Amino acid sequence: MADVRLVHVTKVFRSGKRAVVAVDDLTLDIKDKEFFVLLGPSGCGKTTTLRLIAGLEVPTKGEIYIGGELVNDIPPKDRDVAMVFQSYALYPHMKVFDNIAFPLKLRKMPKREIERRVKEVAKMLHIEHLLDRKPAELSGGERQRVALARAIVRRPKVFLMDEPLSNLDAKLRVMARAYLKRLQRELEVTTIYVTHDQVEAMTMADRIAVMNIGRLQQVGTPNELYNKPANLFVAGFIGSPPMNFVEGVLREIEGKLFFDAKYFKIPLPSDIEEILRGQAPSEEVILGVRPEDMRISLEKVPEGIRGRIYVLEPLGTRTIVNVELGPELIVKVEGPREVDLRIGQEIWLTLDYNRIHFFDKKTEKAIL
Amino acid sequence: MKSLIRMLREFKMTPVKWLIANTIAWLIGFVWILPFIGIFMASIRPFEELVEGWWNFASFHPTLEKYYEALFHPYYPLWRGLINSLIITVPSTIIPVLLAAMASYAFARFSFPIKNYLFLTMLFIMAVPQQMMVIPLFFMMNSIGLLDTYLGLILIHSSWGIPWITFFLRNYFSMIPKEYEEAALVDGATYWQIFTRIVFPVSLPGIISAAVLQFAWVWNDFFFALVFLLSPEKYVATRILPSLKGEYHVDWGLLSAGSILVMLIPVLLYFALNKYYIRGFTGWALKG
Repeated sequence: MADVRLVHVTKVFRSGKRAVVAVDDLTLDIKDKEFFVLLGPSGCGKTTTLRLIAGLEVPTKGEIYIGGELVNDIPPKDRDVAMVFQSYALYPHMKVFDNIAFPLKLRKMPKREIERRVKEVAKMLHIEHLLDRKPAELSGGERQRVALARAIVRRPKVFLMDEPLSNLDAKLRVMARAYLKRLQRELEVTTIYVTHDQVEAMTMADRIAVMNIGRLQQVGTPNELYNKPANLFVAGFIGSPPMNFVEGVLREIEGKLFFDAKYFKIPLPSDIEEILRGQAPSEEVILGVRPEDMRISLEKVPEGIRGRIYVLEPLGTRTIVNVELGPELIVKVEGPREVDLRIGQEIWLTLDYNRIHFFDKKTEKAIL
Repeated sequence: MKSLIRMLREFKMTPVKWLIANTIAWLIGFVWILPFIGIFMASIRPFEELVEGWWNFASFHPTLEKYYEALFHPYYPLWRGLINSLIITVPSTIIPVLLAAMASYAFARFSFPIKNYLFLTMLFIMAVPQQMMVIPLFFMMNSIGLLDTYLGLILIHSSWGIPWITFFLRNYFSMIPKEYEEAALVDGATYWQIFTRIVFPVSLPGIISAAVLQFAWVWNDFFFALVFLLSPEKYVATRILPSLKGEYHVDWGLLSAGSILVMLIPVLLYFALNKYYIRGFTGWALKG
């Protein structure tokens, strides 16, 4: 059991004269027994971060601690971490049993103990019947579980998982998500999990670190990231369908603060007004509203934003209504279930002012 | 028939094209195999029938007599040569394959100073013909007392094999997904354990391909064996073969039977291991 700490870690990859900063001054504090997710688009440095912790890469700068011990110069085999690879990396020439037993054999564990442990883990993951097969004879889901078993069997200090579910089909992934989360709770091993899928991150993580182009954007619980995104990137990355963004300026008219987008203008409630007056460094801002934080009315309402239905996207349990507020300004709104809507219809949108966000257009940081 | 249709579709071939392609393939195959059939016929038929041409089947009395004669020739017994050949070839295959496998793993995966120059130098030296090396090698072997010894020839063949096997296996190792090795690294393996337990067994098709080629090369070698083994009791099979042709007239039957006996060993090896080296040449689809 261990916590993992990264202190000002930077990783630069050099090839010839080109240098790419994969991880840029990253500081993270991952607690013991935590399910910690590194989330970000491809190329954001999340996998490199994981490989740095595993010891497969050496940091250019900074320190990495596992269980309080500085591991910068400790080779992977002595770090006592286990890794599940995206491709699973099962040894193709070994049977499932030998795959799972491999880390134990390397530790010169007695044969009987190895057998006991492999069987125990196989039972836990329901792969007892596969022990005599070769990896090539397994389905994707089975391989994934064998890879997990190989990691678990060692009882390491830390699990590192690099997109372990991305090679599964959608249905299996949803199931695997749940059992993986449950498994982590039962094993109580610190887990660092890399994914680009925000749904996976939200559903599984105790805490999430969002990364983009090598930099840490925000760390927090799924709820914190969802409700209080620190910047435009996090706001846009988390949530599906994503948050709507509308550019505009803050304008004072007759002592009252308005948000003035090109095609509509809305007055802001006094509490928001106060915060914005104190903090907005510039007039140009971006308004962010999640689809579920807007309401559609068929009749004109005061302070409602007039729009026209552009297209409807029914999802079964709900319908995503695309509303055109002006030329090339379409927002996605979670529509009412019971009301019939049709394309071209005129509607009015009202915002839930408790749940709207403002971002500075220049710095992209959250103001509200 | 169904599989034929599927094949045609797969290669986007019209039946006419298929027919032409097959005819050409069969023709080349036939031209290629014809001399072997000739030698085989010559080896099993008595001299009186052979003078009429091996393709003449007016009278046909197959016999294995010539094989016996070749194996137990009073002056140049081929059985002795075959055993000598094995004594030379087996170690001359195993030693360079093992050494080159380690070298090529280092070339494929590690970075060290002048790695690329070293590799290039090796490739350049590979281009030097045997005939250029043979005189200095002869004097060297003579001065260290390894001339006319099995060990001397084994060392020469081994060092001759290492560069090309290194080249061959480096490319093969580079094709193995790195994740296997990384997984093993995290699982707690040392580099030596990774090499022996993961890389070597996973690359077995490539390694066997290299071994089969090296075996055939050493087995078929005549030049080095001629220069470095001088005592008749150490003659290898390829060295004995020309001596079977006889002094005053060429005994084609004896020569053919001897040829087939010598050819047999590498051919059998090819057959026995063909499932590996075909995979080795086409690049093993590493699944799992």
